[in-house]
Order: sequence, then C-alpha cells, then structure tokens
Amino acid sequence: MAKLIGAAGRAVVLAALLALVPAADVGAQSLFNAAGLGLPGEALDGRARALGSMGIGLPGSSILPTDPGALARVGISTGVMAASPSWVDYNSAGNLGSFEGNRFPLLGLAYPVFGGMASVQIGSFLDQGYEVTRIGEVSIGGSPVRTTDDFRQDGSVSNLNLGFARTIGSRFAAGVTLGRYAGNLDRTLVRTYGEEGESGNVDTYRESGVWSWTGQSITLGGTAELPNVRVAASIQIPSDLDAEASTQTRGSDRSFALPVQYRVGATANLGPSVLVHTSAVIADWSATQDALADGAFAHDGNGFGVGVELSRARVLGKDAPLRFGFRRVGLPFAFDDEQAIERVFSGGFGLVLNETAGVVLGGIDIAIERGQRRGANLTEHFWRGTLSLLTSGF
Amino acid sequence: MSVLEEPRLGTTLAALAVFCVAVAGCEEQTPVALTEDALPGEPISIEVNIPWSSFASNLEVFGGYGSAEDIGGGGVIAEDFAGTLDARTLMRIGAYPTVATVQDTTGASRPDSTLTILGGRLVAFFDTIESTNAMPVTMALGATTQEWDPTTASWAFAVDTINDQRPWTEPGGGPVTALVQATWDPAAGDTAVFELDSAQVALWSDTTDLSAGVRIDLLDAGERLTVNSAVLRLDARPSSNPDTIIQLTASTRASTFIYSPFPQPPPDGVRIGGAPSWRTILDIAIPEMIDGIPEFCAVVDCPHQLDAGQISYAALVLTSRETEAAFQPTDSIRLDVRPVLDRASMPKSPLGVSLIVDPLGRTVGPDAFGASPGVEIEVPFTGFARDRLRGTDNSGNTTPGTLALLSVIEPFSISFASFEGPGTAAEPYLKLVLTIGPPVELP
Repeated sequence: MAKLIGAAGRAVVLAALLALVPAADVGAQSLFNAAGLGLPGEALDGRARALGSMGIGLPGSSILPTDPGALARVGISTGVMAASPSWVDYNSAGNLGSFEGNRFPLLGLAYPVFGGMASVQIGSFLDQGYEVTRIGEVSIGGSPVRTTDDFRQDGSVSNLNLGFARTIGSRFAAGVTLGRYAGNLDRTLVRTYGEEGESGNVDTYRESGVWSWTGQSITLGGTAELPNVRVAASIQIPSDLDAEASTQTRGSDRSFALPVQYRVGATANLGPSVLVHTSAVIADWSATQDALADGAFAHDGNGFGVGVELSRARVLGKDAPLRFGFRRVGLPFAFDDEQAIERVFSGGFGLVLNETAGVVLGGIDIAIERGQRRGANLTEHFWRGTLSLLTSGF
Repeated sequence: MSVLEEPRLGTTLAALAVFCVAVAGCEEQTPVALTEDALPGEPISIEVNIPWSSFASNLEVFGGYGSAEDIGGGGVIAEDFAGTLDARTLMRIGAYPTVATVQDTTGASRPDSTLTILGGRLVAFFDTIESTNAMPVTMALGATTQEWDPTTASWAFAVDTINDQRPWTEPGGGPVTALVQATWDPAAGDTAVFELDSAQVALWSDTTDLSAGVRIDLLDAGERLTVNSAVLRLDARPSSNPDTIIQLTASTRASTFIYSPFPQPPPDGVRIGGAPSWRTILDIAIPEMIDGIPEFCAVVDCPHQLDAGQISYAALVLTSRETEAAFQPTDSIRLDVRPVLDRASMPKSPLGVSLIVDPLGRTVGPDAFGASPGVEIEVPFTGFARDRLRGTDNSGNTTPGTLALLSVIEPFSISFASFEGPGTAAEPYLKLVLTIGPPVELP
C-alpha cells in the first residue's frame, strides 16, 4: 500500500511539473500559418522527428496520438513532453527575412489500467499565428493622410486525446484514441492614421473577432509484431472543425470539413544494431476548400518518411542511438493553386539517462532538422530542433 | 514491478530542469506575412460633415462665471476704447512692513521697528502684448473714498453681494481723492511709476479701512491697457540710522477692474471667455443613422447605421466672427470643452473633465476675432462622441448630452472669443472621420 501511495505521489508531482510547461502552446513556425486554416502541427517526439516519421510504426516507449496501437507495448507508466524551436529564413519574390519561434507539440502521460494502457495527450494540430501590415493613404480634410492597417492573427487548434490500448495475444495490439479539438483564434485589425511614430487627433480603428474551435476525432489503430518487423496502421476520423464566434464578434460562425487521415508505418530490424523505419500519411484536405474564403487554397497533406537508427552507439557509457531520416509532406494550405511541399532532412540521437532491468526510466531524444517549404511564391528554409523528455516508472 | 520500487524522481527532475532551460532560450517571433491576401477586408475612411440641425440644439450663452478679481494681481484700464469701453483698476494695498533690518551708526545690522515713512511710489507693470497702445499714455492715480468689495465690485456697484448691494456714489469707482499722474511709454519698458508723498502713502496704511484703495484711470482716450501687477515701494527712515533711507515693499492684497458698458449676451452666436467669463452650452446628439449626404452615400450603403467604434475623429467646428471692438482679444484665446453634468441646473451645473487632450486647450490666435474673422476652429471630442452614441462611457455611466464651451482659465482676460451661431451661414457643424470596415471573418 505504501508503495502504491509513493508511486501515486510521484505521479502527481510529475504531472504538476508537466503542467508548468505550456502544453501545445504553438508558436509561430511558418509564413504558411497565414494560408487557409494554417500550418498543420504534428504531435511528434524527438525520435520520430529524427527518423523522418509520420508518427506511426516506431518501436519503444512511444505514446504518439497518431499511433494508438503502439500504446499497448509501453507497459509501464510513462510521460513524454516535447519542445520544438525553429529558425526560419524566407524568400518571397525577393523579400528576404527571418523569424524564430518555439512550440510544444506534444505532452502525454500513459498509465497501465484494466490490463492495458490508458493515455492522455495534448498535441498541436494547426498553427495559425501571423501578422501582416498594409500601408495606404486616404484624404482627410482635403489632405492625404497615411493609414497603416496592422492585422494580427493569434491562436491555434490543439488536440486533447484520451486513449486506451491493449495487446491481443503476443503479436498484436489495438488501440483507440478519442480526441477533442480546442483552442481560440483572435483576429484583430487595427488602422492607425498618420506617419509612423506620430500621434495625431484621429484615433485608431479596431475591428476584431474571437472564435473558439471545437470538434472531435476518433483514431483507431493496431500494430503487429512480426519477426524483425513492426507494422502499424491507424485511421483518424474527425468531425467538422467548428468555429464559434464570441458574443462580441461581428464575424460569423463557421465550420470546416477535416480530412480522414490514414497512416501506416513499419520498422524493420536489419541487424543487431540497425533499424530502418518508414511511414506514410494520406490526408485529402480538398473538402476544406469549400468553406474557405476566396484566395485560400486547400490541397492534400500526403507525405512519407524514411529513417535509420543505429542503436549500438553510446555516449558517456550510456546508450545513445543515432538516427537519420528524410520526409516529404504536402502542406494542405497555400496562397495559390500550386501546392506547397515540405522536405526535411533530419538527424538526431537519443540519450538514456536512467535504465533499470532493460526499462528506460529517463531519457531524452534530440532531433535536428534542416528543411524547406516551397510554394509558388514563397520559399522557407528552416532549422528545427526537437527535444523530448521521456520518463517512466513514476 | 521492480522499477516502481526504485524512486528516480531526482533524475527525472534534473532532466526536466534541463529541458525547461533548453526550450526557454528561443525567442518567440510572429511571422509577418508578405501578401495582402492574408488581410481581411479593407476599411473605408471617410470624412463627413453633419449640419447643426442633425446633431445639436438648444445653444445658450451664460455669463458671470468668476470675477475680475480672480485674474489676480492686475487689471484693465481703458478710456473710450473702441468708442465705448471705459475701465478702471482697483487695488487694495497690503500691510506696510513695520520692521526692517538695517545697519546702525556703528555698522551693525539689527532689526528696527521704528520706521518713519517719508513717501514712496506705486509701480505698475503692464502687459505689452495685450495693451493696445503703441505710444505713451497718461494715467491718473486716485485713492478710493467709499467702501468697496474687490470680489463683487462693478462699474455701478461698490458692493454687490446677497442682501448687500451698494452702488458707487459716482459710477466707475468714485469719487476718489486724486493723487498723481504718470506716463507709460511701451517703447521704454513695461513699467509706470506714480510718485507719492508721505501723506498720500498714509491713505492706504490702515488695512482695516474697507474704503481704502487705489484706483488707476487712463486719461488718454482710445486705448485699453492690461495691468499685470503693481507694488508700493516705500521710502523709510530707520531710527537706528536716521541718515539712511531704506526702501520697503508693500504688495497688493486684492486687485480687480470695473468696466462699462457690460456686454449683453449674443442673440445668435457663441461667446467664450471674458471677465467675468462667458460660457456657451449646447445639447449634442450624435446621429445614429447617416443618410442623405451625397459624398458619403457614394461609397457607403445608405442609410448607414453608425457604430461608436467607427468614429475615428469627431470635432465641433466653429467659425470665428468679429468680437465687439471693445472686447476683441489681443492675445491668443484658449478654448476648452467639457460635458455639462446636470443640464437642468444651468448655469450652476458642475462640469466634467476637459475633452481636449492638451491641458492648454485649443489655442486660437486673436486675429480670428478681429482682423481676420471666418476662421474654422475644430474642437475635438472624439471620445465623448463615441460615448454619446453608445449612451454610456467605459465605466457604464450615462454620457451627458450637453457640452460647455469655455475658456481653459476662467476668467483670463476682459476679452472674449465669438463664433457664428446656429441659423447663420457659417453655423457650427460636426466633423466626423469615420472608419467603416467589414466584420473580420475567418479565412
């Protein structure tokens, strides 16, 4: 009994510490945030990023919401959180610039219950923050007056998931994840009059709207442990993504169709120290086009990734598997009819901080990605780091 | 399970700390989109002039705020200025010094309370800008002989308080005991000196005598002078060193001016300023619907329901007119606008805080009321216009429906500002700069 209380106490402490990190606080990652509903954010940890994964088919203590079946293989209480800073350079018709941002794409806890594993995860789904400025001129009192329209969109769509999975025999496992979309979007336009830095008599004009995102999803998935190969598949079936305007908002409620997302992945053990991983996703966002305003274009979000893990590498006497990967995925929203594509080369390593009886009690996974997002008139080159912390047995 | 029996919380916490520090090092920057496609619909900015009849009513002019004494220190003197105005300055001199520190015959400094007043001089300082004369003028100094009240004295009355109204036995502050004359040449400075002997100085030595006072008259016709202040310099002989003459100063303890004729309220105009001061009040109702203005309806669907947030600028536009010559400003007028908190209590209603951001008010040059009338003056009150349209301010208080136009400092000068009133060709109007945009929608 005392042991049970002690374990529960540590779980509470850990949960409180996790709560200090702004879960799924998605920050600015791309200028493509301004296209359509934004840039999809993927709830991946450092290992999946380093291997170029679509978030399915990885062995180990993975509790990714896109791979419900893998949860059953975790076996013990596990927590994971990930942070992902990025540095972006862009080029749009000769306009060069850069920005940086940080986001927390994944926060999850899993615990063994009812002979299986239950989980709760918070992950990012759509990044939507950006700002844009328009300079104009109007005539007031017969004189030209400069106007500056500053528009800022601040918000995101996050995904809260509750999952359960259990093994079926020694080779198979199945899981289900029930998800709920949440978040807010604040869109504010401010027009100021006069030259920059001057304060005139004409007050600023402000028009804003705040919407709450709601929606549900269910993800079904399974894994199979074949000789030297793990195979996994999942299907995520979402409802429409509804945006409900606040009472102060003049803008209207909206509803956007979301695509069914199919994922498959496999990891093969090619030898005592080499794992090869591949995965793919199919998501046709074209149905979302119907609800988008003119000037926004929806495409598919299909993609694939491949990676290799050298698991025998060691650092400071501890296991530190090296990973390399590549992924290519379509961005569902763009500023024109030509689809934007993201291509990423990645590398990284894991570091086991504590391991007992073959079970990793604490470890970090680090991924470094060098990627490119290219649309018709906009190209971004970015560095993205992903640092995830995994802890077990609390 | 064995792993649960071995607490690893320390390791976990250390890793978590490293994790938090690592992710905190990246600055959060919002990407700036490069295409205007990412902007919502563009607002329209348009200027609209609303005629008097569509936004205002019940203009009234009230006078009598404050007293000429409130200006403090000085006064006005005039003789048949602009063919009409006579003005005289009345002053009360404060107590004379009774003790002075002087050097005695041994060279030691010590207080001496036995002083013999030998004479003195009243030194008057003039406002060279407000005063109209360019040439030397002659003034007369007299000592009042009748009890008078600095706060309520006017041309006709020496005392004019409740239940105590006493006219001057001779209108205009008289009769007086004529003392001396002096000349002020504005080219030579801002000071005029009235030389006095000991008997004349003694006329004002009793501060309990309510009839004691100084009256300054202008003898040369056609000018109006503004007295900034005056002091009485006394020549005294100390008993401790009779061979020495020392100079002491007695200040004025009250100062006012009286003038005739007193202006009547304008029948069809706006008046602001003067001493006592004039205020003009008007009821304001920002139109909820805008229609029938061709330049507006050319770009906005009419009738247009006006929203408070669409008002980017609101101002009452007044057109200056020539003030009566005797009261034309010779220096800038500073206008203020304040809400009237209790319209039914006028003219005694309290006023709200100023609607003009500049604490010095809206400054208007004197030519607008003299040589160059017809100048449009904007008195901005954007925040008030928004609240008036909404009916309440940000605190939920009901917005007053009446505004008062007044001088920033009341009273400030004998002169006042005049503007065209409703019903005239250049009646006041409401100038609005509206920003009208579509609702911000989702992409």
